[in-house]
Amino acid sequence: MAEVRAEMVANVWKVVVAEGDPVADGDTLVILESMKMEIPVLAEGDGTVSTLAVSEGDVVQEGDVIAVIS
Amino acid sequence: MTLTPLSTASLATSRLFRLLDTSEPHIEAAGVVVMTGTVSGTPVVAFATDSSVQGGALGIDGCRAIADATDLAVRRGVPVIGIWHSGGARLREGVGALDAVAKVFAAQTRASGRVPQLSVVLGPAAGGAAYGPALTDVVVLGPDGRVFVTGPDVVRRVTGEDVDMLRLGGPEPHGRRSGVVHVVSSTDDEALETAAQLAVLLHEQGSIDLTRLPQRPDPSRAMPAEARRAYDMRTVVTDVLDGPGLELQANWAPNVLTVLGRLGGRTVGVVANNPLRLGGCLDASSGEKAARFVRMCDAFGVPLVFLVDVPGYLPGVGQEWDGVVRRGAKLLHAYAAASVPRVTVVVHKSFGGAYIAMGSRGLGADAVFAWPGAQIDVMGASAAVEVLHRRELATLDGEERAAAVVRLAEAHANETGGLQRAVDGGFVDAVINPADTRAAVAGAIVKVRHVRGLNANIPL
Repeated sequence: MAEVRAEMVANVWKVVVAEGDPVADGDTLVILESMKMEIPVLAEGDGTVSTLAVSEGDVVQEGDVIAVIS
Repeated sequence: MTLTPLSTASLATSRLFRLLDTSEPHIEAAGVVVMTGTVSGTPVVAFATDSSVQGGALGIDGCRAIADATDLAVRRGVPVIGIWHSGGARLREGVGALDAVAKVFAAQTRASGRVPQLSVVLGPAAGGAAYGPALTDVVVLGPDGRVFVTGPDVVRRVTGEDVDMLRLGGPEPHGRRSGVVHVVSSTDDEALETAAQLAVLLHEQGSIDLTRLPQRPDPSRAMPAEARRAYDMRTVVTDVLDGPGLELQANWAPNVLTVLGRLGGRTVGVVANNPLRLGGCLDASSGEKAARFVRMCDAFGVPLVFLVDVPGYLPGVGQEWDGVVRRGAKLLHAYAAASVPRVTVVVHKSFGGAYIAMGSRGLGADAVFAWPGAQIDVMGASAAVEVLHRRELATLDGEERAAAVVRLAEAHANETGGLQRAVDGGFVDAVINPADTRAAVAGAIVKVRHVRGLNANIPL
C-alpha cells in the first residue's frame, strides 16, 4: 500500500482516476494547479486506487494524502 | 600491504572480475581486494570489500588497502571504483579500526575532484562503509544494496524504532528520499556496468567535431501547444544529446534533471528543469542536487548545458523551513564559481530568482540561447501586475478585474518583458530554431578555452 501525497500547496484542477481503477507506475492520478502550471500527480507503483482523498476544486497542502494505491 | 595469491575466488574477486574487462595481478588484504585493469578499455583502479571475511568489516589492513588504492588512482590519474558490502569498522580492532576508516575518508577527500570516484553498493554497507561511498562522486546501488549509519538491530535497541533493512537503507529511501544514491540498478551486473559507463564518460570525454554532428530529432517535439501543460523534459534532454544519457538522482528532487551524456561525441553535463514534477520549480532539494552536479562536472572538466523551463523558486513555509534560501544558494555559488564551458538554452520560460540560478548570463554563462517565444522576466506578467497595481485592482471585481489584469499584463509585457528585451540587454545571445539547438550548444562549447575547476567535490 502506498500513499501518494501532495508535493506542494496546490488546487486540485482535475481528477483523472476513480477509486477501484487499476494504475501503473507513472500514471497520472490527478492534475494539480499551482505556480500557474498544471502539475500531474503520478502513481509511484502499480496497483489499484483504493482511496481517492481529493475532489476537483479542493486545496491540498504539502504532505496531504491525495490517493492510496494498494 | 602484501601480495597474496588467491586460493579461492571470493565474492569480492568475482565481482571485480565481472567489473573489469582486463585486470592485472591483484592484492588482497584482510577482507579487501584491490585490482587494476580496464573497464570498456578505460584504465581504472578498483577495490571490493569481501563480505565472506568477517562480514566485510573494515580493519586496519583492509582500510590501508582502500586508501592506497585511492592514492594510486590519483597518481595514475584514473578513476577508482569501489564495490561495497561491509558491516563497517571491525569491532575487534577497536579504535584502531576507526582510525583506519578515518584514513580511508581522508584519502577519498584528497582524491575528491581530482579523479572520478565511483561506488557500487551490492550488499549491506553500514557505518564507515556507508560514509565511504557517500564521500565519492557517484553511488550506484544494486538490488541487495543497503546503506545506513547502523542497521535495524542497533536501531531497535537504542531508539526502539522498528524498521527493516529495506526501509532503512534500500533503493526507496536512498533513491527517493535522502539522495544518497545516484543510480538504482535492478541487477548487480547492471550496477557494475553503470559504474563502468560512468568511468568512461568521466575519463574518456572525447571532443566535439562540429563537422560531424549526428542528426537528432527536433528537441521541441516534446513541447505541448498549451503553455500551462506539463511535459517530460527528459525527452528534450535526450534529443539534445547524442542519445539517452545517464541520469543521476533520477527519483530524488525530480523537478530538476542531472544527466551525463554525450553531445557530438563529447561528455557534457545537462541540468534541466522538469515541468512534470513540481511544475519544474526549483526548491531546496533540487537546488542542492544541481549544485553538487555542477561542482562534479566542473572538477572533472565536463562542460555544462542548462535547459531551462522554470516558473521560479517554490515559495512557502515548507520550503523556507527546508532551507530553500541556504540550499538554493549552493547552486548560485556552484554555477558562478565554475570554470568549464557553460551554455544555457531557455526552452520556454525563466522567471525570477530561478532565472538567475539556471545558468544566467549574469552568473557567468558563456552562451545563452532561447527558443522563439521564450518568456524571461522577474515574474509572469499577470503576477507582476497583481503586485504593481494592487490598489487599482482591489477596487474591481469579477470579470472586470480579470479583464483589467489581462490589459495591464499586456502593457507590462510590452514595457518591461519580452524576449527581445533580454536579447537587447545582452542577457540572451541569440534566439535559435529549436532544431539547431545541438549545433548552437556544441559551437558554443568549442569556443571556450577548456579548463577544469580546482574544487573538490564535497558531497553537498
